[in-house]
Amino acid sequence: MNAIDFQQLVDRQYVPLYRFALSLAKSEADAADLTQQTFFLWASKGHQLRDGSKAKSWLFTTLYREFLTRRRREVRFPKVELDDAREDEIAISPNINALDAATVSQALREVEEPFRAPLTLFYLKQFSYEEIADVLDVPIGTVMSRLSRGKALLRRRLLSKDETLGNKVVSFESQKSRESHG
Amino acid sequence: MDNREAKFILSAYRPGGQDASDSRFSEALEQARRDPMLEQWLRDSVTFDAAITERLSAVEPPPDLRENILAGVKVSRVPHWKNRLRKWTIAAALILGATLGSLIWHSARPGHLAGWQNAALGVISSLVRQQSSFDAQSHDTGELLAWLRANHAPAAQKLPDNLAKLSSLGCKTFSWNGTPVSVICFVRKNGELIHLVTINARATVDRTRRQEANLVQRGGWATATWREGDRVYMLALKGSRDQLRSYLL
Repeated sequence: MNAIDFQQLVDRQYVPLYRFALSLAKSEADAADLTQQTFFLWASKGHQLRDGSKAKSWLFTTLYREFLTRRRREVRFPKVELDDAREDEIAISPNINALDAATVSQALREVEEPFRAPLTLFYLKQFSYEEIADVLDVPIGTVMSRLSRGKALLRRRLLSKDETLGNKVVSFESQKSRESHG
Repeated sequence: MDNREAKFILSAYRPGGQDASDSRFSEALEQARRDPMLEQWLRDSVTFDAAITERLSAVEPPPDLRENILAGVKVSRVPHWKNRLRKWTIAAALILGATLGSLIWHSARPGHLAGWQNAALGVISSLVRQQSSFDAQSHDTGELLAWLRANHAPAAQKLPDNLAKLSSLGCKTFSWNGTPVSVICFVRKNGELIHLVTINARATVDRTRRQEANLVQRGGWATATWREGDRVYMLALKGSRDQLRSYLL
């Protein structure tokens, strides 16, 4: 791939790649670094890829593997018990219109990692469930399961951030204090 | 298919409608058309997903990320022609060494060197003739030493200063009478090669157990052997002992 092609590839993919990285990484700096490293790996190895149409998939797969490699080098994260993330339906929906991009992004990052990666790939509108299965190297059924459960988890996180529902918890102390002053 | 199963499948249905013709969703979508409650659930779900997609699409990367990627890769990338040039340079040096080496090696009598030294020079000749390859390659000697240590092969504890200034090519390990021996090849300033062989002192005979370098000229080979700590080293090059001496400093 020549320099122009590389630049075109960066222009097409660096934003969605960064968003995917941001959902995985701990900070914006880590996300930017993961994105840069992915393109660096493309520049060093990507030319081995014969089918140019698979460049997007290659980049997302590489970024995800790079993330997993770095995570393994760090403290071993406690494994999330997938069964703990129940897919109970939530009767109340968060008022999505009241939530801005930063809040939604933050809520997504609070979703446990096994669900976060497929959710982000799904919401980036870049990948079908089959492509997500390829990138994450998991069966299609697992992708569907994680999307289903992940969405339920995301709704919970968003609900907790949605102050427009007016269901903020008032502590006993503050209520007592209000009564005494009233 | 019940509604629970339909919801499970439709959770993977993208809000943009790209999956409308995917057969995996057909039955679930058909069920949603028949069941008003499921249809409402799907409508809410798609609305929710579209809103999340829209919010996430508003997340912008740092303003300098694109430039950093392009600039970073430009700095780091070795152009293909340079890679090829480097390979040809190494190949030319190895072939030149092989031509001289084979002439000298075949005329040399191995009697003046210990068995492990002869074995090492055989391995070096094989490398030079490209009949064998390095176990690890790096221009950074530190990396090669680390690789040797990690693989439980003898690694130099300290290199002579002038040798340490050279760029390395790669390293190889082999076993001599059950004892591990390592070889690191360096590129001299004139493009020719010099090789450092390391073995544990326990495996060598008495005459190599001296701290001062013992220089031996064998035809075109010049070797210097010395002991330091629990290691015995042999430095070898195609040239004179005088040329070799400069790398012992």
